[in-house]
Amino acid sequence: MAAPLRTFLACSGLSRDRLSGSRAGWWAWLLQRVTGLGLVLYIFLHIGVISTAQLGADTFDDVLAVLQTPIFVVLDLLLATAVLYHGLNGVRVILIDLGVGVSRQAELFWACLVLTALTMATVTFFSLPLIVRG
Amino acid sequence: MDPSTAAPPSVGASGFWQWFLQRVSGLLLIALVGVHMWMGHFSGLADVIAGSQEELVLYDIVERRLAQGLFIFVDFSLLALVLYHGLSGLRSVLLEWGPAARRGDQVSIGLLLLGVVTFAYGAKVLLVFIL
Repeated sequence: MAAPLRTFLACSGLSRDRLSGSRAGWWAWLLQRVTGLGLVLYIFLHIGVISTAQLGADTFDDVLAVLQTPIFVVLDLLLATAVLYHGLNGVRVILIDLGVGVSRQAELFWACLVLTALTMATVTFFSLPLIVRG
Repeated sequence: MDPSTAAPPSVGASGFWQWFLQRVSGLLLIALVGVHMWMGHFSGLADVIAGSQEELVLYDIVERRLAQGLFIFVDFSLLALVLYHGLSGLRSVLLEWGPAARRGDQVSIGLLLLGVVTFAYGAKVLLVFIL
């Protein structure tokens, strides 16, 4: 491995877990931060969109109709992916805090990713009619 | 990292309660966000695909949902918990950054005010559908 990359990994904390020998914990932490920050931003956008209800039912329905067009359905699926990963990894963090599965934290991270992928594949399949509708 | 810019360690009672409440609110949000996303994105999916409902979310649909006490409770709890969990998480991230950590009290008060104002605004919006 190139020296600069080795230095970056060491300084950034992207080091292998002492118990499992995996970098999964670092990736889990990073993804939790990235999805968390994205979801905080989304909360404010969401409240802003719903606040159009104050302008009347017609305005609200017009805005919501735009937000249910295919491109926004795809963005909604990305949002659901972030929510699902953040929630599942949050449960993983709580289990580890309680001393459950500490030595298998890497496997738990992969389980979170697989569960997220399988669930979202299913949700996307059922949402396809909304994405391909004219 | 320069030790002089490092965030102070979370110790003591306030550190414990922040840690504890972040986890409790997270667990409650799994259920509340699940209900919210199901109602908003999936409960009317079959009707929309069949053509018997124009869109997944319409003003009338939200208004009918919020005529039920259970969903009033769900939506107000969700608004409060998601703001607490999100802004508390944001505070943790910010306090890992030296310049913000040195102004920890101001960051905390700023985020608290942001949360209170946003909750009040969100509650006002929800009341449009209820009243």
